Amino acid sequence: MAGGLEPDLAALRRELSGPAALSILIALVAVAVTFLIWRFVQGRRSSRKAVLLLGLCDAGKTLLFARLLSGRYRDTQTSITDSSATYRVRRDKSTSVTLIDLPGHESLRLQFLERFKAAARAIVFVVDSVAFQREVKDVAEFLYQVLVDCTVLKNVPALLIACNKQDVTTAKSAKLIQQQLEKELNTLRVTCSAAPTSLDSSGGSAQLGKKGKDFDFSQLPMKVEFMECSARGSKGEEGDADLEGLEKWLMKVA
Amino acid sequence: LLTAPLPQERGGNNSFTHEALTLKYKLDNQFELVFVVGFQKILTLTYVDKLIDDVHKEFRDKYRNEFQQKGALGLLNGTFDFKDDFMRLLRDAEESSRVRAPTVMKTFEQSLKSQKTVKCMIETRGEKPKEKVKNKKNKGSKKEGTETAAAPSKASGGDKQPSAAGDKEELTKDEILQKNREEFFRRHMKAGEKSRSPKPDAQKEKGKKPRVWDLGNSNAKVLDYSNSATNGSAEACPVEEFDPDMALGDKNREPGRLYDLEYESEDEAEEEKVVQNTSKPSTKKGGLGGMFGMLKGLVGSKSLTREDMDPVLEKMKDHLIAKNVAAEIAVQLCESVAKKLEGKVMGTFTTVTSTVKQALQEALVQILQPQRRVDVLRDVMDAQRHRRPYVVTFCGVNGVGKSTNLAKISFWLIENGFSVLIAACDTFRAGAVEQLRTHTRRLNALHPPESHGGRTMVQLYEKGYGKDAAGIAMEAISYARNQGFDVVLVDTAGRMQDNAPLMTALAKLIAVNAPDLVLFVGEALVGNEAVDQLVKFNKALADHSMAQTPRLIDGIVLTKFDTIDDKVGAAISMTYITSKPIVFVGTGQTYCDLRSLNAKAVVAALMKA
Repeated sequence: MAGGLEPDLAALRRELSGPAALSILIALVAVAVTFLIWRFVQGRRSSRKAVLLLGLCDAGKTLLFARLLSGRYRDTQTSITDSSATYRVRRDKSTSVTLIDLPGHESLRLQFLERFKAAARAIVFVVDSVAFQREVKDVAEFLYQVLVDCTVLKNVPALLIACNKQDVTTAKSAKLIQQQLEKELNTLRVTCSAAPTSLDSSGGSAQLGKKGKDFDFSQLPMKVEFMECSARGSKGEEGDADLEGLEKWLMKVA
Repeated sequence: LLTAPLPQERGGNNSFTHEALTLKYKLDNQFELVFVVGFQKILTLTYVDKLIDDVHKEFRDKYRNEFQQKGALGLLNGTFDFKDDFMRLLRDAEESSRVRAPTVMKTFEQSLKSQKTVKCMIETRGEKPKEKVKNKKNKGSKKEGTETAAAPSKASGGDKQPSAAGDKEELTKDEILQKNREEFFRRHMKAGEKSRSPKPDAQKEKGKKPRVWDLGNSNAKVLDYSNSATNGSAEACPVEEFDPDMALGDKNREPGRLYDLEYESEDEAEEEKVVQNTSKPSTKKGGLGGMFGMLKGLVGSKSLTREDMDPVLEKMKDHLIAKNVAAEIAVQLCESVAKKLEGKVMGTFTTVTSTVKQALQEALVQILQPQRRVDVLRDVMDAQRHRRPYVVTFCGVNGVGKSTNLAKISFWLIENGFSVLIAACDTFRAGAVEQLRTHTRRLNALHPPESHGGRTMVQLYEKGYGKDAAGIAMEAISYARNQGFDVVLVDTAGRMQDNAPLMTALAKLIAVNAPDLVLFVGEALVGNEAVDQLVKFNKALADHSMAQTPRLIDGIVLTKFDTIDDKVGAAISMTYITSKPIVFVGTGQTYCDLRSLNAKAVVAALMKA
């Protein structure tokens, strides 16, 4: 048996030492290099071109999404999965971002956030200005979870807090919402960091803002803006939505 | 509405009741669509399943283009003018479920039957529409649960080949219409009522058995059956007796008898096919032999079938059960994952196992992540602002660690600067009050009043043994309000969930005192018992409460977590049953052994090896 192998090995060695071997080696290296370049380019291209629409249930994310993309009003249902599409910025036709609309349902939101947070260049956090007083704790909690997430802290995407549903008369103003959120987040960062550590004591929650002073949105590492908008539009379902500010901000970010 | 069960991974069975409506739904995982039919709960409409399937197929075929166009733009911009089609389908379904007079049709049927058998004998092998007719009818009759044995036997009376391997193509809309019409006709021929039998397969089995034995009987006797069948259909016979008669009545034909054995195997094949058809008519099955099929599965778009997933799911289910997840929970979880993945198109280079594992992992993480995070400190601060104490009640069965964890939680609260009153409402167990007194003394030694501005951080409120627990709790709460304590922790006696008087007493305590947080303490070692405990506890609390919305268990404390290695399934069972979060995890007997749950770590331990 061994004797049979010996001549085979010798033949193989002879084969390899020839010029054919060199060309094979070069081909392999070329393939590997191409593969790496392709991977790199893909990674670059798809990284961080997304704008996420986050918010509680019934904040108006899906309607906002539909308005930005098609300009028309659609009846929407509670989303149970994400929707994404490319959005061309209005004036400048060449730049485009991917708008991703995530569900706001409590059991789904974290899961989808996990999936898309790495690709986020900007985050639009939609707040229901009408129901804000009731929901202030939930809004703050979700916002806190977004803000202390390690990927978000690393990538530092631009953050816009869109106070939606401004067409209703009882809607709160952006200023008021900002103040309330700051107060609530101030309390939350104390309580959340004081919670018992998690089981394998991984991921100690980051400190939000400066320790000694009251929490302020300017203390965050990312740019935060507040804006009022209305996805439904003041003229009802037929008219256009009041999204000027939002579109300008998207243009800036893209 | 429907967004409650679907996100929560309870999508096992496909119907959902909400107030006065019953909603039946169907998922199309390939295009991520949900079809919902709602009808009033009191009506029992038998055509609903069939209607949903028809709508699903039509809608998908009609708007296939919009779906192919990737992304939401297609959905946004497309106009889905489906109303007319839907009305037509609805009308068809309604009419087909109406009962017709049996007597008039009977003679016609006899002749049609004979016609059919002869015709089928002449038919060639590759006759697709006939097959489809049979399949559709099978499906319809299977769904309706009527004339179960009769319909297939009638159709396959002459049909030779087993059709399982054959029909893989899409059913086009025209063929659907034609089939519908033919089916419509056939159903008119049938005598008897349409009643939904819950197990049409079982009935088929019932119908088969007598037939086999009757092969040995003489012709005359068999003929007798057919006669009684014709007479019987005129009267109002109960359906159960009726069906086997119909099946037997069919067998009196010579050709019919010959084809019996074939029919049985065919029937099974058809059943399989029917099941397949209902689940994913658009599957491109690897009909090619071994190697190509395997390659095709590896690369390219292969959509998942139930058969592919079943072995993997079985294994996952056993794995979960080995990790101490309650058996019924594991089954339901696997069902829901299967429903979610059926018909989904897999990406390149992904195997069935990996897809299923991924889906299961996501489902588990979602279950463990609570609906609303219970932030005790936040709520205590709120209560502080309103100048009332925050009341927490601990309940559970015997020996799970209520008193120990109560002490741990009070330590944690003291560390955060809240003063605690412990109410000793365990008036039954010997030494319960002394145990709490020792804890109080220790905690006060650790946090003396001097370091907290002169007030005692922890105090015990007790009234000895043998008294009424609810009364003690009420007094404790008012004492706390007077003295300005921030939190009241109420310790109750352990009780078995089957012990009705004790459960009533607990329910009374909770209903009367209206605590802010009701925590169920459960140990991580518990297995299938967890399901029973939680269900019975919740039931007792709901039954004995006078209020409109009864106070149920708000959170779970999982104790003795250090005793289990990685068999962390109890966490899943408990959260699945109650859909309430696990607020604390106890990992030992010292005061610092209190943790919060890390969903990802638990799921990782669960899915490991």
